[in-house]
Amino acid sequence: MQQRATAGHRPARIYGGWKQTAVNKAFLVPVIVLFLFLFVVPLGQSFYWSLTDFTGYSPEANFVGLQNYATIAGDPSMLAGLGFTLLFGVATTALVTVLAIPLAVQLNKAFAGRNFVRSLWFFPAIPSMAILGLVWRYILSPLESGVLNSVLASVGIAPVGWLSVDVLAKISVIAVGVWAATGWHAVLYTAYLQSIPQELYEVAKVDGASARQQFFSITLPLLTPAMVVSSFLLMTGGLKVFDLPYTLTNGGPGFATYTITQSIIVTGVGQGRYGLASALAVIFTLAVAALSFAQLWITRLIEKRYV
Amino acid sequence: MRSSTWRRVGLSIGMIALAAFIAIPLYYIVVNTFKTQGDMVTSPLGLPRDVTLDNYSQVLSDPRMYRSFANTLYVTVLAVGLQLIVGAMAAFAMIMRTTRANRIIGNLLLIGFIVPGQSTLIPLYRTLVGFKLVDSLNGLVLMYLGGSIFCYFLIQGYMKTLPYEIIEAARLDGAGAFQIFWRIVLPLIKPILVTVGVFQTMWVWNDFLLPTVFISTPERRTVVLQVYNAVSEFTTDWPRFMTVSVVALVPMVIFFIFTQRHIVSGLLAGGLKG
Repeated sequence: MQQRATAGHRPARIYGGWKQTAVNKAFLVPVIVLFLFLFVVPLGQSFYWSLTDFTGYSPEANFVGLQNYATIAGDPSMLAGLGFTLLFGVATTALVTVLAIPLAVQLNKAFAGRNFVRSLWFFPAIPSMAILGLVWRYILSPLESGVLNSVLASVGIAPVGWLSVDVLAKISVIAVGVWAATGWHAVLYTAYLQSIPQELYEVAKVDGASARQQFFSITLPLLTPAMVVSSFLLMTGGLKVFDLPYTLTNGGPGFATYTITQSIIVTGVGQGRYGLASALAVIFTLAVAALSFAQLWITRLIEKRYV
Repeated sequence: MRSSTWRRVGLSIGMIALAAFIAIPLYYIVVNTFKTQGDMVTSPLGLPRDVTLDNYSQVLSDPRMYRSFANTLYVTVLAVGLQLIVGAMAAFAMIMRTTRANRIIGNLLLIGFIVPGQSTLIPLYRTLVGFKLVDSLNGLVLMYLGGSIFCYFLIQGYMKTLPYEIIEAARLDGAGAFQIFWRIVLPLIKPILVTVGVFQTMWVWNDFLLPTVFISTPERRTVVLQVYNAVSEFTTDWPRFMTVSVVALVPMVIFFIFTQRHIVSGLLAGGLKG
């Protein structure tokens, strides 16, 4: 036991003295150093480089204004990357939400084998998306030997170019993304479902509400907080997508399933065109920020309507 | 009564059938690891004609597999451990003193919470080249430390619920800030450390983006990178590739079985915060 302090103990939130302040600051040093090194400085560099013709090969960077942004606007591969990334984000968010809520309602009921079923649904969230993408590449292989195609062949359907036709490749990537995320988000929703008081349903039943009415006037409104969290995770995760299309289709055919992330890596790390890659990164950052705010705004509106 | 029992049976059958359908890809990977190549080509979804363990003995005798596991373990343990310490320290400082400066810092850190890794990838890549930290496991760990900020936000939310009297009592007994942090606060926040640790472990262990950008030497590959490279190596030997995948998945599955309940509680914790 150390020496007991005798006087001057005020509640900690106001207690002062430079020593305590210094100690307090010391606890913040690691996070601030990391924050500056990993976020502030590189973000600043990204914004600055996006206005220059900086490459890895010459030490000089000339200010070129918005030229990099003009280049992106005229580059089909980069536009395709932007487009598919947005499509993936929006499509997976919408589809997973529409599928996960009814699934959660079913998973919340008592039935034999419930834990087993829940685990199977949840499982795709455990392994790396990259490995799942590779496995699905074999399943969806456009060749006759592809698993899905050989199953189709056994019922007399000709091989389908799941990953070799633009539209089908886009649908395939989104479908695998939905397959992987639905169970996880259903579990998230079940956690919230359990916090809905049962009395509400009992009262509704007494009043003669049908199962459908109960779902739309009790379950769904009370799940709004869960929808906020789930759709936010889906949207930000969807915009950051890289592993799945990269391993499943490698961005192809052509640039049909190309993502911004792949584009940033290819342009920046692969070709050393830092200026151009930074401009892409800036667009990406702004898009993520804008969508995050838009989503926040929309969910606020929904909450106001129900709460 | 009768009809509700039947409804339950129906629900059970329906749900199991649906889940089985969803799980076909998993069945597909596992069942094919016990087949020969010819067997897999003729019946990709059937049960193996003769169960063979050759694929496993080949994959498990490959030293590169073990090497990649060791690499991933090193990166994951170091990165997640440091993330938790940095996050907890920052949360402790913020909780102990709610000055205006700290509030501003807390708001600024939100940037690190929202900004995706892709936004800072190119400048960081160049910086790490300068520090000779590209193609190094320690460089990879450094990159993952950005996750400290996520840890900070979740830990801070939990710390707010701690009984403040305990910390106050310890200080009255003359304990210094570091002592209070190590001996009192850390043990008290163990539940959130476990939950956040589980999430960060799944992220770092499974991540593909950073290893594929930063690691080029085969000896420094992480497991996911090793699997990715196995595809081009075994282009025609599908059962062999499936076996590599299964071996790579086993540690995560075991990890999941032991940490399942923390994942669900973590989903809720994250949810309550939002």
